[in-house]
Amino acid sequence: MKERSLLWRLGPLWSLVVLLVIVYAVTVVTSYLGDSVQVQFQYALVNLVIVVALYMFIGTSGVLSFGHVAFVALGAWTVGLLTIEPELKRNLLSDMFPVLFDIQAPWFLAIFIGGLVGGLLALIVAPVLMRLNGLQAGIATFALLLVVGQVLTYWSSIGPRSGQSMVGIPDVLDLQTTMFFALGAIVVAWLFQRSRPARLLRAAREDGIAAAASGINVVTQRVIALALSGLIAGIAGGLFALTNRVVQASLLGIELTFITLAMLVLGGMLSLSGAVIGGLVFSLIDLVLVRLQNGVELGSYVVSIPQGTRPIILGAILVLMLIFRPSGLTGGREIVWPFRRTPPLPGVPPTNE
Amino acid sequence: MNQLIQSLVDAISAGATLGLAALAIGLVFGVIRLANFAQGEIITASAYSIIFTWQLGWYVAIPIAILIGVILSLLMEVGVFSRMRMATPATLLVASFGLSFLLQRVYELFFGNNVRTAPVAPELAQSLEIGGIRVQLLSVATIIIAAVILVALVQFLNRSIWGLQLQAAAADFRIARLVGIPASRVIGLSFALSGILAAAVAFVSTVKTGAVGPPFGVPIVILALIGAVIGGIDKIYGALAGGFLVGFATSMLASWLPSDMSNFRDAYVFLLVIIVLIFRPSGLLVRGGTVRT
Repeated sequence: MKERSLLWRLGPLWSLVVLLVIVYAVTVVTSYLGDSVQVQFQYALVNLVIVVALYMFIGTSGVLSFGHVAFVALGAWTVGLLTIEPELKRNLLSDMFPVLFDIQAPWFLAIFIGGLVGGLLALIVAPVLMRLNGLQAGIATFALLLVVGQVLTYWSSIGPRSGQSMVGIPDVLDLQTTMFFALGAIVVAWLFQRSRPARLLRAAREDGIAAAASGINVVTQRVIALALSGLIAGIAGGLFALTNRVVQASLLGIELTFITLAMLVLGGMLSLSGAVIGGLVFSLIDLVLVRLQNGVELGSYVVSIPQGTRPIILGAILVLMLIFRPSGLTGGREIVWPFRRTPPLPGVPPTNE
Repeated sequence: MNQLIQSLVDAISAGATLGLAALAIGLVFGVIRLANFAQGEIITASAYSIIFTWQLGWYVAIPIAILIGVILSLLMEVGVFSRMRMATPATLLVASFGLSFLLQRVYELFFGNNVRTAPVAPELAQSLEIGGIRVQLLSVATIIIAAVILVALVQFLNRSIWGLQLQAAAADFRIARLVGIPASRVIGLSFALSGILAAAVAFVSTVKTGAVGPPFGVPIVILALIGAVIGGIDKIYGALAGGFLVGFATSMLASWLPSDMSNFRDAYVFLLVIIVLIFRPSGLLVRGGTVRT
């Protein structure tokens, strides 16, 4: 009996450890595969952090959000503004509020400030948006994404003039550091999913009326989840800025929303394992497709796929997944201790004790 | 005064275009709870066909555009959405979002990233003077086209047995099936009608721009979808009115906002949308209740 309850306690921890090891292992392997793979995988890790942020909100609350990339965009913007040299800002971003020219922060700190800014936007919009459900929530968060995109594109007092981009972001972030941020995000998401707000939200996700009848204030719990996931999304934005080193509103819009949602759907949006595995598998398929587009030698043959087929295959994966396995690769489950007879659902104690 | 009337006519025509696009979305949503983001790619497909075939004469180009709209719309239903009958509206929205992305990339592969151009109905691109007031001929034509289509559609929905079955299914799909209305026919019909509407939207939009690229339909469908939701996507006429409202508001803001603010006109519309959704989540024109999901 005692052993089983110990296992029950360790079971969820096991799922976390497995995910961390997988991410670490894949990063180590890709770091041996040459510079271009390394660079591409750094983007994959940034996307992974966004997917984890999406999971923290969509997975626990069951509410669709197209708006997380807005938080990502704010994080990226913040890091861009804080890390570009003041001289460069004066020349390139001359329309900005003068106070923005001189504020600077070390890049490491800037990432967290970016996270705070993303989280702050989430916290501001959450009390209003979180009253909506289903399709309405999807449309309203989509509208949020578009509003933020337009403001960042056209408001030259806080950034470049429309159509231009922020350049001159320092080259400081390497693959390893990005990986540690990704691992950190996974740990935070894991801790969150074990927390009281996440449990209440899962209850509300399964049966909103019963949850409300049991005294759960669903809106409050959703606000907490959105603010926290907005924080992680903002940090991901900072990582994006330092990885891409060019920030432009058009890079942080509908397309990134699509790709990260596709990753979440691929893995299964109801579990952290789904988010992480979906993000990794999608990125690895993408890595292979990039190789194939450039042509791969197999013995005496050169295998290649036409340019432009890569995004088509990625889009097709999302659509086919939704048709044939809507619960994703993981089926919404966490990775469990493999040597146990009855793997319980996360947070549900075995009934036969 | 002159300027006011001119901007009003433009706004009504923009509203009419988006109203038709939103109506197409509402027709399908009423029956199978799908808010079809990929409706934009049906518009794009019809628009490409208009650009490519316009030189053969309008009597060739327009029927082909309608045909392509209807076929692509039905293909989406058969290939994707008919396999997802159990999914929630939110999941269907994600799927149609993915389909939209996929089709845009397919267009890129076949037609390239650059826009394809052709002078479509250049005779509509002039101004018309009525009693000393100049208005765009295209705006007037758009309003007339939309009115004709609407009258025809209302006649069809209210007078024909298929139209009545469609309305019954939109009101309550399960009860409609219980009283013996064939589900597959009604669903197919709603997709076919939305394909025809897409072709109409494609026509007026291509006359206006004369250029079509892979993302052609995206801005149209974003505004139409948002319009449909705030009007009340659950009701066919709610969607129509919502689409009209969004088109009208966007166009008026473009005409009357000072130039340094007009860049943000869509942002104002989207903010308005969020506000409407909070106070009337089931739509402006729907009394009480929530959207059936």
